[in-house]
Amino acid sequence: MSRMKFYCDDHRCIECFACSVACAEAHELPTGISRRKVITLFDGIEGKEVSTSIACMHCTDAPCEQVCPVDCFYIREDGIVLHDKNKCIGCGYCLYACPFGAPQFPRDGAFGAKGAMDKCTMCAGGPLETNSEKERHLYGQNRIAEGKVPMCAAVCSTNALLVGDAESVSNIYRKRVAGRGKGV
Amino acid sequence: MRRYMYMFIAFLSLASVAMAADSQIWGEMRIQNILGYGQEESLKLGPLFTMLQHQYFAWIFLGVLIGVPGAFFIHYKIIGPKVFPHSEKKYYAFNLYNRIIHQVAAVSFLVIIPTGFIIVFGDFFGGGTLVRMAKNLHGIFTIPFTIVVIPMALMWVKEAIFNWDDVKWLMIVGGYLSKEKKPILAGKFNCGQKMWYWVAILGGITMILSGAFMFFLDFKMQMLHDLTGMSQIDLLRAAAIIHNVMGFAVLALFITHVYMSMFAIKGAVHSIITGYVEEEEVKILHSTWYKKLKDQGKF
Repeated sequence: MSRMKFYCDDHRCIECFACSVACAEAHELPTGISRRKVITLFDGIEGKEVSTSIACMHCTDAPCEQVCPVDCFYIREDGIVLHDKNKCIGCGYCLYACPFGAPQFPRDGAFGAKGAMDKCTMCAGGPLETNSEKERHLYGQNRIAEGKVPMCAAVCSTNALLVGDAESVSNIYRKRVAGRGKGV
Repeated sequence: MRRYMYMFIAFLSLASVAMAADSQIWGEMRIQNILGYGQEESLKLGPLFTMLQHQYFAWIFLGVLIGVPGAFFIHYKIIGPKVFPHSEKKYYAFNLYNRIIHQVAAVSFLVIIPTGFIIVFGDFFGGGTLVRMAKNLHGIFTIPFTIVVIPMALMWVKEAIFNWDDVKWLMIVGGYLSKEKKPILAGKFNCGQKMWYWVAILGGITMILSGAFMFFLDFKMQMLHDLTGMSQIDLLRAAAIIHNVMGFAVLALFITHVYMSMFAIKGAVHSIITGYVEEEEVKILHSTWYKKLKDQGKF
């Protein structure tokens, strides 16, 4: 079985934020929630500056899934890590466990109480009926079900953001590295 | 009173900084947060929290929940309760102020502890509305406890300082392992009560603070980052670990406290409802205090 993975080629990422904006737009995310973010290290230092795009990395041994007290996470057969917003209690444990800061929390309750966790679904929706109104409302577009590439990768103008079966992603990247003679 | 005021102000400012727009987790500090997970120079709290939460916390809570009452059940069956007549002379030991403060704390704990359990065993309860409600109640009932914890600390601190009586008390485990009614050295509070006092007060404050960290999530306290050298997410991880570990102690001693007042010493619970303690009960279980009261002609 293939495993779905994201990979951001930081030699190609030009810090244009298209992935982040497209994601927020496609899934109609509320203000303050960003499922995908662009990070720049050594900002402004010539020769050292490097940018990359980060979202949920859909870990094989997802720590979020391990710590959730209500067991709302489930990992699909293709490796996409998803969660059930109706089960989630917004405790924040997944955020503490996540190395990438992927889980987001809307502050929709009174006195700053956190709502159900929100994160990148690799455009694969949630546990509700595929492409239903409810699924779209809670999790955004289910582009995978429609046979489409996740929004972020679809809009990446330099093709820095790769997504798909881990093996084909690594094949593409290997070819790139071989071509330019550096990058690992 | 002033300390209480300061705490209230600190609580409010913590709440307001939480609302500040600049995110400590997803904003400026996100790179430090990512680096802090398992990098060489970090405390590696991410993997530590994941391991503890994944494999140990729930089991330890379950162990305490079954083990402590289980031990007391055996104690009750073998040694049985200590029964004192409650129709004899009484001494008015707890005034209205003491009782109200204690009762507010008691009611808070009676909500906080079961809801805490529902959260820990959230998967057992299926998540969703019930567990979410428990989580909210867990937070809401922290407020009355936060209000009374400092007054409670102040009103009983003098009696809760450990002394030589406590060493002797510990040697015979407070006399709870025998059916005999022999006077046991203890002041107004015995060693067990003192232990509970410190766990409830210091542990309680630790629980409030670590819980507040987790609730406000994005609070901005530069001082805390400078002091600890930890990133925001590491502070939250530390808070979650501390909150759980301290929870074991608070839970174990809370069960003990309830058992002692309700079952082991029959009718002892009335003293915090009416304010009166019974003469023989004081004479046997708090003999040092009894001597003092006798000298003062209170009995």
